[in-house]
Order: sequence, then structure tokens, then C-alpha cells
Amino acid sequence: MWQLKNNKYKHLKQQAFQTESIAESVVAFVQFARSHGFNVGIQETQDALQCAKKGLITNKESFKYAMKAIFCNSPEDRKVFEKLFLLYWDTNPFDMQEPKNKTLVQGSLKKKTNASLVMLGRGKTEAPEEEGKNVSGANESERLKRTDLAKLNEMDATLLDEIARKMFKQLALRLHRRMKESRRKGLINLRRTIRRSIGYGGEPIDLFRRARKPKKQRLIVLLDVSGSMDKYSYFLLRFICALRENFRQLEAFVFSTSLIRISKALQPNRLDFVLDTISKQTDNWSSGTRIGECLHEFTDKYGKLLLNGSPTILILSDGLDTGDPALLSREMIKLHRRARKLIWLNPLKGMKGYTPEARGMKAALPSVDDFRSAHNLESLLELENILADA
Amino acid sequence: MAKNRKPVQAINSPSQIIEALEKHQYIADEEFATALFLLLKLQKPLLLEGPPGVGKTEIALALSQLLETKLIRLQCYEGLDINASVYEWNYQKQLLGIKLQEGTNLSVEEKEHHIFSNEYLLKRPLLQSIMEEEQAPVLLIDELDRSDEEFEAFLLELLSVFQISIPELGTIKAKHKPYVILTSNRTRELSDALKRRCLYHWIDYPDLEKEMTIVKKRLPDIEQHLLEQVVGHVQAFRQRKLAKTPGVSETIDWAESLMALGYREVNKKAFEQTLGSVLKSVEDINQAKIEFTENQL
Repeated sequence: MWQLKNNKYKHLKQQAFQTESIAESVVAFVQFARSHGFNVGIQETQDALQCAKKGLITNKESFKYAMKAIFCNSPEDRKVFEKLFLLYWDTNPFDMQEPKNKTLVQGSLKKKTNASLVMLGRGKTEAPEEEGKNVSGANESERLKRTDLAKLNEMDATLLDEIARKMFKQLALRLHRRMKESRRKGLINLRRTIRRSIGYGGEPIDLFRRARKPKKQRLIVLLDVSGSMDKYSYFLLRFICALRENFRQLEAFVFSTSLIRISKALQPNRLDFVLDTISKQTDNWSSGTRIGECLHEFTDKYGKLLLNGSPTILILSDGLDTGDPALLSREMIKLHRRARKLIWLNPLKGMKGYTPEARGMKAALPSVDDFRSAHNLESLLELENILADA
Repeated sequence: MAKNRKPVQAINSPSQIIEALEKHQYIADEEFATALFLLLKLQKPLLLEGPPGVGKTEIALALSQLLETKLIRLQCYEGLDINASVYEWNYQKQLLGIKLQEGTNLSVEEKEHHIFSNEYLLKRPLLQSIMEEEQAPVLLIDELDRSDEEFEAFLLELLSVFQISIPELGTIKAKHKPYVILTSNRTRELSDALKRRCLYHWIDYPDLEKEMTIVKKRLPDIEQHLLEQVVGHVQAFRQRKLAKTPGVSETIDWAESLMALGYREVNKKAFEQTLGSVLKSVEDINQAKIEFTENQL
């Protein structure tokens, strides 16, 4: 399969070698770039040809810079482009090496097939779930809502899964509505008021108000996926998905010994796939946790990008930390300073007689604004009120 | 005729841009100059990204001086809407206008037509930029990543056709397409649709040599020794993990404050006294002070 792809590149390259006019080679280069994952269309081709016309092509460097400005969209693109440009214009097709960023194309291909596989799997399980739902009465679902997620048996798990899906959907909807209803208050909308007042000879009789735009609160979620959280992670991940429906600017990360950003991969119908990928990517999925280090990685790598404008930060973890508590404490203080609100959800808090005795939890607690449990569905749904204010 | 030739027509290559910008105290490398050249020749907007303080905003000013044209600036912020960016009616004046018309025999339609005329229109930056009569202005849309997605979507239309519809007045089309520069600090990703309509350039921190040239250009009176020390320190700051990495503008500020205080070299006292103009966080400052003392010993 891969050989085939490579042949295609070679073909493209050879095609370029055989072109007769500059315009043709430029067009072939656009195709070459496109086959390497660049999002370039007809408009870009036209622009590239325009550049050639403006005389930029006489100098190789300035031609390269011009193409770069037209083709690239991010610093990452720019790095890839350098290689691509060299590959295309400077190598002889016969001794061309395998293109280096082949994984890019291949990766996206693989993702797609996997996703459809997951969908297939879901389709099959749909029927038995339906039956289960019909059998269960109101009491049953009430009981399940309060059951500790770690103590579920197989049968209950699928049932609860179904209930959770529904409840989370409602939650997302409610949060949405609540924002819309606040429209009666607000500043007077002079524009409409005056427009309407013309009919009354200029007396502003009907006052129109301008609804204050609901401020979009950004939410950052950090989910612990270490061994001790194993039983909870799946539901918590689903919960995060539901939140995403409401908070468009939600950023999600999972961590155990290292940190992975999952914001883009997070889609309700691909949840199994996400879990699967995460477990493959981290050799340490469900093993010891180093919360402090992961938080440090977060502020270091993404802090400047994501912590602007005081977002709300949600940490889902049991606080069983194998790292240095002093580091954790330091990182928590740093996070707290830049967050509007720092909420820590701990599944263990639901246990009777739980006190935050674990070293890590103790170290983190002073910087936490709201410390809550997250052991069953009900406790997760309670969060709605807090987030609605956020 | 030659006298009336516009500056933009005189530019025929990226290297001419470099020269011209240098006269306006802006140092650009060839890559950046090529991007600017394309901005002028293809008349496509240019999206500039990069860390804060590397001259993203500054280039718009320099470019407008170079082209001898107006600079129109729109600072983006969360909640920026059409009323603040495109146009607004002057309501107070409209109310007065209605009152004044009370005794006249004008029909309602005529009255309406009158108070929604040009006279009562407040032009905000985007509308201004396409209503320029004489020559194309430079339009700077600063820190676009701070605005909402809705505003970004609105910009898409403007940037592709350069026209704005005002329901009461009709569609206004640009006589001269403005040269648009957009900047972003990447606090959020801009949409692909917008990016595709723009040329793109990433401005990074300059290296030691280039930064020295830039500071020297801005502060011609600076002594070589002080210049080397200041830029050297800032370059070292950037290598370390700081809460806020200083940009070129901070370097210039720092050099300027040292000169204002009459220092000819960066000694311990000068360092501690003026550090606030280059580092903007207590932790960073304390850390830098400790390390400076250690290095001295």
C-alpha cells in the first residue's frame, strides 16, 4: 500500500520534470504540495502564477518565500514547506528518497477506517441497550444515578451508559437555554428604538433593548487517566464530551505520567476510538500518576496559549500522586492565579469517611476553589449549576 | 506625470521594500519583504503571527509611511461587534433631526430618508477603510484572535469582496482596495476559511545581530558597548523559561531607560533599577537579579 503511494509521488515528481513551461511546473508543484497534505486550491495556484508573472520567479529564494506566504497557514506548515520545496525543485526524480512526512497522510487515512469500525461496533450494541431501557423503571435509574461508578457490574454499566448519554444531552441543552433567556435585560438598543420612533413623530415610545451577549466562558478540562481512575475515566470522558457541546472553546487534556491534548479528537460518536488511541499512545495509561509534572507540562507548553483571559479550569483526578507534592503545590498556585475558577472533582470524595489525606491531594487543596465529588452520575450533574455561572 | 506616481508603483521587487522600510526605521528580512511585496501586488490580506513584541503592529505603521497613505487601525477585543467596527448611526443627532423636522410637511418616508443619510453616519474603521477617496489606505486589524468567531466570519466577506452593505444606505464598494494586515498572537486558532484568504507570515524573535541593528536604528545615539550588553542580556532571557518572554519592543524600552538614566554600561545597580522595563513579572525579575549577581561573582 505504502509503496503504491510513494510511486504516486514519484509520478507527480516525474511529471513535473517533464513539464515544458514554468507555468506547468508551478501548477505541478501545487499538486505536489496538495498530495503532501497542504490545503491549497485553485486560488492558491492562481496566486502562485501571479507571482511568477510579477517577476518573483527570477530569484529562487524570493520565489520560495512567495510560495511560502501563499501556501502556509501555521508555523508547523512552514517547516514542512521548506522540506517540500527542496524535495520538489532541487532533487532529481530518479534518486528521490521516500517523502518524509508520509505518516501525515497515512495517519489520517488510518484514523478514518478506525472511526468507521467504531461506528459499526456501536450499531450492533444499540439493540440490547434499547431492551434494557424499557425494563428499567424510574427507581432503577434513580438508584443507578447514585451508584458509585467503580462498583457497577457489566449489565448496569450499559444501562447507566444509556442514561448518562441522555442526561448529559439534557445538561448541554439546559446550559444553552439558560443563556438565551437572559435577553430581557440589557442596554437600550437605540438603533431600533429610533427607527421605530419615526412613526410616532420622533417620540421613542417603544423601547427596544439590546440583549447582552452571553459571555463565552472558556473551559479547560484536565482528566486523570491513571490506574486508580480506570473505572471512572470512561464516564468522565463522556461527561467532557457533553460539556463540549456547550462550551465551544473547550480544551481537553488527559494525563497520567505525561500530558496529551485531546481537544480535537473529542467527539461523542468517536469516544471508544479516543479511549483506544489514548491507551495506545501512552504506554502508561492506567499506571502511576505524576500530577505535578503534568501540570507543569501544561503551563509550560500550553499556558501562554490557553491561560489568557482567565478560563475556568476543571481537574478530574483522585489526587493519588506519585510525584513530588511540593512541585504539585507550586504548579497549582500558578494555575490558580491565572484561572477564573479552579474546580477539582475527586471520585474518592464520594466515599464515606473520605478525607483528603493523600499527599498530592493535600498539596493541591489550598489552591482549589471548589472541591467536589465525582463518583456517580448525580454528582456530575450537580456541576451544571456551577458551570452555568461560570 | 512622474511626479504623481504613487509610491506603490515604484516598488518592483522585495529588495526595494527592504530599503524603503529601512528609511522608516524598520528592519525586515527578505522573506518578510517578499510577503509584503505580495501583499502590495496581489492585493491579498497578510496575516502575521508570532510572539508579542516582535513588530507585528509596527510594520503596518511603517508600511503606511512608506506608501505615504493613511493607517486605519482596528483593535480587536472580545465582544467587538459590527457597531463598533463598521458603522453606527449618530443617535443623538438623529433624535435632534427628528425634532427639527416636526414642523415641516415632509412625509414619513422623506423624514426617514433624511435621518438615515450620510450626515448621520458614524464611520468606524472598517467602513472608513473602504470609503477612502484618494488612495488605498493600510488597514491594520490588530490581535484578531481576541475577537469572537462571529466577527471573524463577518471579516471573511469583507476581505474577499471589499464591500459593506448598510441596510439603510445600500452597498458601499471600495474605490481603492485597502492593504490589509491582520495580526494574531495565537491565543486561539483562527478559522481555516480566514487563513486561506490571507497570505501568511510568521515573525519570530530576531537573532543577536538583527536585534542589535534594530535597536541601533531606533536609538542611533546608543553606545556600542551598552547596545551589546542590553541585547545580549535580552537574548539570554529568551533562552530561559520566563513567565513572560520579552519582545523586541521591550529591548528598545530597556535600552532607552538605561540611556535616560545616563548609564553607559549594564552594571548591578543599573540592572536592578531598570529591569522592570524588560521583564514584567516579579518572579522573573527576582530570578534574573539572583542570576546576575551570581554571574558577577
